[in-house]
Amino acid sequence: MAIEIESLAKRYGRFEALAGVSLSVKSGGVFGLLGPNGAGKSTLVKSLLTLVRPSRCQGTLLGRPIGHRATLAKVGYLPEHARFPDYLTGRQIVRMSAGLSQMARKLALAREEMLLERVGMATRADDVYRHYSKGMRQRIGIAQALIHDPQLVFLDEPTDGVDPQGRVEIRRMIEEMKAEGRTVFVNSHLLDEVEQVADEVAILCGGRMVERGRTADLTRREVSFVVRSQGPLPFELKAAFEKEGWLVGADSIEVRGEAAEVVQPVIDALRARNVSIREIRESRRSLEQVFLEAVNRKEEA
Amino acid sequence: MTQFGAIFVDSLRLLRGRSLFWITLGISLFAGLMYLSIGFTATGYSVGFGLVAVDHPAIRAGSPMAGMFYFAIFSVFLVNVWLSWVAVVLALITCAPIFPEFMAEGAAGSVLSKPISRWRLFAYKYVCGLLFALIQTAAFCVLVFLAMRWRVGSWNPTIFWAVPLITLMFSYLWAVMVAVGIKTRSVMAALLSVMVVWMSCWMAKVVDDFAWSASESGEIPTISGGERLSTSEQATWKRYQALAELPYRSLPKTTDTVNLLQRFVRLEGDREFSMSEVTTATLNGVPAKDTEVDASMTRGSPQWIIGSSLVFELMVVAYAGWLFCRRDF
Repeated sequence: MAIEIESLAKRYGRFEALAGVSLSVKSGGVFGLLGPNGAGKSTLVKSLLTLVRPSRCQGTLLGRPIGHRATLAKVGYLPEHARFPDYLTGRQIVRMSAGLSQMARKLALAREEMLLERVGMATRADDVYRHYSKGMRQRIGIAQALIHDPQLVFLDEPTDGVDPQGRVEIRRMIEEMKAEGRTVFVNSHLLDEVEQVADEVAILCGGRMVERGRTADLTRREVSFVVRSQGPLPFELKAAFEKEGWLVGADSIEVRGEAAEVVQPVIDALRARNVSIREIRESRRSLEQVFLEAVNRKEEA
Repeated sequence: MTQFGAIFVDSLRLLRGRSLFWITLGISLFAGLMYLSIGFTATGYSVGFGLVAVDHPAIRAGSPMAGMFYFAIFSVFLVNVWLSWVAVVLALITCAPIFPEFMAEGAAGSVLSKPISRWRLFAYKYVCGLLFALIQTAAFCVLVFLAMRWRVGSWNPTIFWAVPLITLMFSYLWAVMVAVGIKTRSVMAALLSVMVVWMSCWMAKVVDDFAWSASESGEIPTISGGERLSTSEQATWKRYQALAELPYRSLPKTTDTVNLLQRFVRLEGDREFSMSEVTTATLNGVPAKDTEVDASMTRGSPQWIIGSSLVFELMVVAYAGWLFCRRDF
């Protein structure tokens, strides 16, 4: 396990930011931590990285107790709203990160070139940070998080404020990190972003973990097939479909089930009545639906 | 690169990126040139590379007071006014944002998540914050060192005492600024409080000098010169001297730390600097030692002046470090 939290709590006075959260993250995948604003996502990550002093904390990070400073040499971090000294160039920021990670100079220089190339900043690496766009700043932030070849990388809202093209680039970088065998922990409230990259997700709400599991499993819970006809459905067919318990619209029928077999009787019935089929598609719950349901459940509770 | 090396290089880059650093260096260069422009002739001294010549019986080329006069200009005007007031204000303005900016959201995270303890990080950043004062004073002293060789004819490495002394004096104030900066995360609050502390140190020194003069020599300085006290008045001053000294004793000795330069420096022939001698030579043309004046200048041992100030600084730094280590980022 890359991360094994038995219990993590953090209070700010009377406000309970994290209420004894437990969480496990396997090594070598992309883990997405979701939650609405103020859910405690950043507090959780910061507690793991010793930026925040938790009220109670039991668990391990890369096999060592959370808070073990030497272990942080194997951890990379891109903070939310990352800000680096504006008098430094991108290359100097990456170099400083290497120095603070106590990397050997030769190795640092080699990795620095490779990473600047990889994040697409090789040609602008010697420009001053204050002249960078938001997307460029995030790329430099990712490069400094990876310079010391970490096993575990925390990315807190990595695509926040980045344009669509930049988001695609950052997703690609996350996939590359995963391909290299790193564990990537993505903290985000942008659900579609996480859905596209994360193998596993957890949903945090009000300082409590309300849902967790493999992304595919969570979205597979309610798979259905939707068949749309060319024009309105004949009345008797509509009645027959409704009798089967399927969800019937003016020109659509939705049948729940994971296997394609479940939709075959609908197709047969439509074809038998010479009704033209306009569309057949598999419909899954989006992570957004999973998220909203989990959050609503929590709020109702 | 080591962790200290990374923070040290970052601090140098920070200074390089601040226009005030270059402005201060530029003014220092100008002040150094002005100093260099003062020279000695057979009949007196000149200012502005010979532009203005002043005849003087005691201060002229080859006279024993020339070296002391030249050092006095450096010590009284350049060190006591430029380096320890104006340059320090500019240094404080330049360095005030270091900790508040470092602790801003999104800035501290990438550094604090590295395998470096918070105490160590704090100590490194604190020490590197002294670079402004150190570099400025060192550069200025090099100019003065060359100027002295040219104008007085001898190399005087003892003027480099100004580097640790000015840096030390700056460090007392820097400690306060760091503590307030960490506590409030506000550049303005840090600057204002350091100014208040600095003024308090200065006021405490003035009150202490006043009380000492009244109780020891029985004279209080007034606008018209000085006023003699009666024996009973002097006794009253003596009684309250300890109370008047209290703020001075507890606060860092900013002025006295810088004035130590006049005690540490050695002039040609291993002579000590004497303020009364140079003042009388300049004003009356005949150097005369006033032991009372010189005694007031050398009141308090260097160990006491530096030691008690360092105790204050260490307490403030320890508090700042404790705050820094406990803080959630």
